[in-house]
Amino acid sequence: MSNLSGFRFSKLVGRNLANRPYRNIATIFAFALIAGTLFSSQFLSNGAEQSLDAGMDRLGADIMVVPDKYLFAGQTVLLTGEPTTFFFEDAGFEEISRIPGVAKASPQMYIATLFASCCAAPVQMIAIDPETDFTISAWLVDNPGVKMGEDDIIIGSNIIQDPGKELMFYGHIFHVVGTLDQTGTGMDNSVFTRFEDAYVMAGESGAKAVKKLNIPREMASAVLVKVEPGMSPEAVADEIERQVPGTRTILPNGLMSAVNGQLAAVTLLLEGSAVAVTVVSIPLLGLVSALVANEQKKDISILRALGATKGFVTWLILAESFALAIIGSIIGIGVATWFLVIYQDFITFSLKIPFIIPSNLTILAEGGGALLLSVAIAGTASIYPVFRITRSEPYEGIGRGVS
Amino acid sequence: MATDKKISGIGALLIVLGLLVILTPWVLFPVCEVEGLYLKTAAGMQIPMKCGWTARAETGVGALIMVAGGLLVVRSTPETRQAVGVFSAAAGILVILFPTFLIGMCAVADHPCRQLTLPALEVLGVIVVLIGAYLIWKGGNE
Repeated sequence: MSNLSGFRFSKLVGRNLANRPYRNIATIFAFALIAGTLFSSQFLSNGAEQSLDAGMDRLGADIMVVPDKYLFAGQTVLLTGEPTTFFFEDAGFEEISRIPGVAKASPQMYIATLFASCCAAPVQMIAIDPETDFTISAWLVDNPGVKMGEDDIIIGSNIIQDPGKELMFYGHIFHVVGTLDQTGTGMDNSVFTRFEDAYVMAGESGAKAVKKLNIPREMASAVLVKVEPGMSPEAVADEIERQVPGTRTILPNGLMSAVNGQLAAVTLLLEGSAVAVTVVSIPLLGLVSALVANEQKKDISILRALGATKGFVTWLILAESFALAIIGSIIGIGVATWFLVIYQDFITFSLKIPFIIPSNLTILAEGGGALLLSVAIAGTASIYPVFRITRSEPYEGIGRGVS
Repeated sequence: MATDKKISGIGALLIVLGLLVILTPWVLFPVCEVEGLYLKTAAGMQIPMKCGWTARAETGVGALIMVAGGLLVVRSTPETRQAVGVFSAAAGILVILFPTFLIGMCAVADHPCRQLTLPALEVLGVIVVLIGAYLIWKGGNE
């Protein structure tokens, strides 16, 4: 053993694996399934969470206050941007800015536009009050070249029009001055305009649009609230609901619960499949490893007789299992990533959740986790064959081994 | 003999894949115009959207993939395998490029062509490319 020129451990592992292609393909498939399903579940949850974070960052608010009858509609505006129109029944929402703990409050109006054709499908128009707004004004600070003047609109990333061009809603022509970055939330399907321009559009709609738009003056659809530093958004939200009757509050935590509710069935199915495959795979893979070790008994015994230590043999069996686990996991994770990326639009619209591709770091962490689990399963499944083969004496194997 | 049967099987698989490329945008996961969505010109005329033109191009490429598969079924010499392999790989790349770069799909993310037709064509394209690559490799090793 001391002078084996050209002997390489990896070559030995490779040759052993090449001798059993069909059995190895089945093992690789099992590992691909385990890693792929686990990774997909994590990918979906993290994609939804990061999308929601990006959406709330874009909004810049800690609390969204909506009329109590429109809690679900308010959530939908944020999550998927499904067009809707609603208003408070009176102007009592102004009290919100005077509630202790509220640092800033800004009203917004939500108007569902009309369906026109492919490129002017109904979208969510959000009218802001430039005096108090902190949603678009924060974006304008980051984009100093953009000014939001009369009939100017800023559009979400899913609205197809280039800055400098025009879009028509309710027969009124707006100029696109900017496009927001993708968040995966309803913000991507929204168009931001000013209160004054929305009133003008509604006023002209009777003559210019196929359907007249009625917007009650001095009414808002929602009020976005930023709480004072150090204050708990939950406590302020409770106070708002108590002091302003007829209102409901939406907080990021509540939205995340709603998203998790939507995702629960899918993630449960994926995680359940991964657990089921793992539970079935461990004894099966153990059995396959034991059969393989039995077939290799003669070879291993010869290696032992030539001076290979028990540690070397243990490492050889483990290396074969780990190699299959790593190859299978990489294939599973790769295919799962590809499918989740190409079906991103379908996932978003069918599950009605905000969703973006998670950051590279998150994908690496999710993939690494799934890979480690597969390697751990491979190690666990190899314990019994390793135990059996290292306990037998070399001459026994040479005498009885399969040739 | 066994290899010839295997290659004929791959030819049959290519025929099925070519048929799927044809059926996907019209029947299986239809593009917007099949769902009644058209672009309207100022004169009120309805014309297909970008995805409609992609569907038409995919019909042509799908038919060519079927022809290549048929060729492999009737003649499976190493030269034919390599030629069909190169052709299939190129056709598979076109199946992917038509909806993504060369023509494209609708830009609006909630349109049916974006949600189902596009990913289905990408999956089919990748499978055709992989089969093409296998045939090139197989032809070169005989």
